[in-house]
Amino acid sequence: MSWIRRLRNLLRSDHHARELDRELEFHVQERADDLVAGGMNRQSAEVEARRRFGNYGNQKEQTRDADVFVWLDTLIDDVRYAARMLRNAPGFALVAILSLALGIGANTAIFSLVNAVILRSLPVKHPEQIVQLAMTDSNSTFTNPLWEQIRDHQTVFAGAFAYGPQQYNMAPSGEARAAAVDVVSGDYFRTLGVRSVLGRTLTVNDDQRGCPAIAVLSYAFWQQEFGGQRDVLGKTVMLNGNAVPIVGVAQEGFAGLDVGKSTQIFVPICSVAVLRGSFASIEGRSNWWLSVMARAKPGDPIDHMKAGLSTIAKGVFEATIPPRWRQEQKDRYAANGLTVLPASNGLSDLRRRYSKALYTLLGIVSLVLLIACANVANLLLARSAARQREMAVRVALGAARMRVVRQLLTESLLLSIAGALIGFVFAQWGSRLLVGFLSSAGNPIFLDLGIDYDVLAFTILVALVTGMLFGLMPAWRASRVAPNAALKANGRGVIEGQGRFAIGKLLVAAQIAISLALVVGAGLLIGTFRNVSSLDAGFRAADVLLVSMRRPGAPIPRDQAVQTNDAILTRLRSLPGVASASMSTITPLGRTSWNEEMVVDGFTPADPDDGVAFFNSTTSDYFRTLQTPILSGRDFNSGDRFGTPLVALVNETMARHFYKTENAIGKTFRYRAGARTSAPYEIIGVVKDAKYQTLREKTLPTVFVPISQDSGSLGGLNVELRIPAGASAAAPRVRSVINEVDPRMSMTVTTFESQVAATLTRERLLATLSGFFGGLALLLSMIGLYGVLSYNVARRRGEIGVRMALGAGQRRIASMVLSEVGGVLATGFVIGVGLSFLSTKLIASFLFGVKPTDATTLVGSITVLAIVALFAAYLPARRASHVDPVEALREE
Amino acid sequence: MPRTKNDILQGTLLLLVLKTLDSRGSMHGYAITSHIQEVSSDMLRVEEGSLYPALHRMEQEGWLKAAWGTTEKNRQARFYTLTAAGRKQLAHEQESWARLTEGVRRVLRYA
Repeated sequence: MSWIRRLRNLLRSDHHARELDRELEFHVQERADDLVAGGMNRQSAEVEARRRFGNYGNQKEQTRDADVFVWLDTLIDDVRYAARMLRNAPGFALVAILSLALGIGANTAIFSLVNAVILRSLPVKHPEQIVQLAMTDSNSTFTNPLWEQIRDHQTVFAGAFAYGPQQYNMAPSGEARAAAVDVVSGDYFRTLGVRSVLGRTLTVNDDQRGCPAIAVLSYAFWQQEFGGQRDVLGKTVMLNGNAVPIVGVAQEGFAGLDVGKSTQIFVPICSVAVLRGSFASIEGRSNWWLSVMARAKPGDPIDHMKAGLSTIAKGVFEATIPPRWRQEQKDRYAANGLTVLPASNGLSDLRRRYSKALYTLLGIVSLVLLIACANVANLLLARSAARQREMAVRVALGAARMRVVRQLLTESLLLSIAGALIGFVFAQWGSRLLVGFLSSAGNPIFLDLGIDYDVLAFTILVALVTGMLFGLMPAWRASRVAPNAALKANGRGVIEGQGRFAIGKLLVAAQIAISLALVVGAGLLIGTFRNVSSLDAGFRAADVLLVSMRRPGAPIPRDQAVQTNDAILTRLRSLPGVASASMSTITPLGRTSWNEEMVVDGFTPADPDDGVAFFNSTTSDYFRTLQTPILSGRDFNSGDRFGTPLVALVNETMARHFYKTENAIGKTFRYRAGARTSAPYEIIGVVKDAKYQTLREKTLPTVFVPISQDSGSLGGLNVELRIPAGASAAAPRVRSVINEVDPRMSMTVTTFESQVAATLTRERLLATLSGFFGGLALLLSMIGLYGVLSYNVARRRGEIGVRMALGAGQRRIASMVLSEVGGVLATGFVIGVGLSFLSTKLIASFLFGVKPTDATTLVGSITVLAIVALFAAYLPARRASHVDPVEALREE
Repeated sequence: MPRTKNDILQGTLLLLVLKTLDSRGSMHGYAITSHIQEVSSDMLRVEEGSLYPALHRMEQEGWLKAAWGTTEKNRQARFYTLTAAGRKQLAHEQESWARLTEGVRRVLRYA
């Protein structure tokens, strides 16, 4: 097929015109040559040659028309004819286009997310050169001392830089305003090739120990916060209570390297000392917070970079051994190596958490599209039966077979393109809905979902492939008509064989098989969500308000901080409606954790992880507020202060794991602090097991120590309030009470329920969407079943009439139709069960509390499908049993 | 296919071109013109330029294949070759030509 060449002629008409000139001019020159050879002089030969050629411009035009319009004309004819055929069958067109729109729209929506999260390259120069450094123990966050060693010793890269995303508070006090800050090394902008649109970016000179804090804004933040004003360079931004001067604005479209996040402010690494009021992140040899990335030299293979790094690795690690570690930890540290990973599409926590879920969804929606295709193929098959006479006439009049196929394929493509257009609109808000789904207040997600060429190309490709998929087979079959037979018969479709109908049934069986797999998958994922969200977490999240407080700026003396916190807690407890209130350094399922290596007499850990317990420090009433029962012993009280013996509560798992007893009261433990160990703690109570980081975790051994005896952890504190009358309504009052006690305190208020819900995003996403698409698949398959049955009943009207005339009752006729359904369903179920065993294996890692082969889900899904199928079969069966034999036979 | 005003001539021209290419293999437009004139002993002479719309249409119909090549005089020319579909079309055209001339012959003889 030379379609492409013809289309090119149309699009590149200049080039085509030149080619034509070359060809026609050649002819004229040849003729002139011959005339000269015959004795004519050159000049008159040229004139004569042109005369014989005729009207040059006219011939050229007609030749061009031949190249372009023959094809275009037939195409336009085909399209016009196809459009007319569809207009004449609006019901058919509507069902077909809508099924395709849903299928294609779902695919485009999920793909645009996959594209934005996983596939798209960073908006920097030569993104393919960007790599990420990792350690050979597969850790990829670095300490600042490690980074400085790499920076000073590497020679294999064109440039290297480090950055760490940190959250800062932009509000001077009151409700906190989170700023998305990237703390970056001096060479960050130069290496990435990101320029400034205003002022300057950061350079190596800005990143020297002891530097003052300065800030570069992202373009989007500049627009949104400062309205794009150019005088922003003289101004400051507030970061944790520090006024930081703005030195520049980065180029448009660049918002850091973390896909799904939108960095607003860039500050140099050295400025963290000022902003956090501590050198811990800069000097600390066990503060892991930086990602290290580099730009490869052009064309440098990854193996060469790895080799280059391995020569410096030993020196880098030996120079940065954390001094207070035990010897075996130090040895392990020094033996680590460096490696390189491709990072042209940036880094993404979002990608790590969701890429498998997104690909699963893409798989699900492509199956839905397949079902939609089968539907349309079935509709086309039924239609082609009805149009058999038309095809016969065409063939009899001399239409080539390919011509008929092409005409029918044009109709199919018209359907799929119409479906794609509507689907594209569905996808636009579908994908935004999805991003809204993934975003939470504490963790907003920014994805550029603008229409880009990849998504557009994907949609067009899907439209073309689906058009071919459902159109080719019916078109081929339709073109195989024998005009003689078709025209002789009375044209009510009696002539066609059993074959077409058998294919229709096969397609429906395939639809049912795929639907079963999708419904089973949805059942498992919904079951997982239900299991996770209804499991006993060990606390009751409803009616609890969480306030995360931080006092910006320089730390205040410890006594003063304790007093302020006490005052806040006392005031909050006396608020009307507050049943109980407490404070803690960590809240369950929050983003932070704190663990220590335990030293317990009579306990030897099987491996390093086995000896670890998770910590939290709280005030009294913490367990009452969260409704985690204290099983034995007592809560903290005002007697547990500095200077009194250290006390702790532990959970059941902790007691069982370290002491092999349910009753651990009176036992003691210590924990390692670097090379030394802490003072001993006495256990004064055992509480019920509760989840610590995620709902899906196996309960962790947990230790609770009183804040009043804890020397650290005054920087940020959480308040928990149980307010039975409704937590979120009380938020403004809680906020103002806290600011009355300490006007500088800034805070973030959420409900405990939304914090818990945020940890279930993936489960909820998969459950909701697989349920939705499972339902859609079911609906489409049932439309398919209904269509085939109705068509078949209509086809067999005559036969049914005869049967009834010979004495078959309505029941008998109805059961005849239903037995057909039974056959189709049985076939579908057999294939579907096999298919679901295969496909549920792929989602096994998402499941919780159900096995991929869960029998209840399988039986339940089959039951649902069977019941829905009966509904779909009811109308055709009823119609068959109500055939009037007299009328049916008169038609015959 | 859009019809042009010299329809009958066009039909004859197609037949002549197809036949020429069938017997002589790959040729450029000028050679086809020369060949037709030569073989018909100059009895048939067409406006030379009108050959090209016909050639290109036949190419689009898939009867001919075209490719740029070099002549003996070392000039660039577009060479046409008959395809399988073209051969079929030739048979078809020959048959209808025979019917047409037979019809005309009978009319002339018996009318």
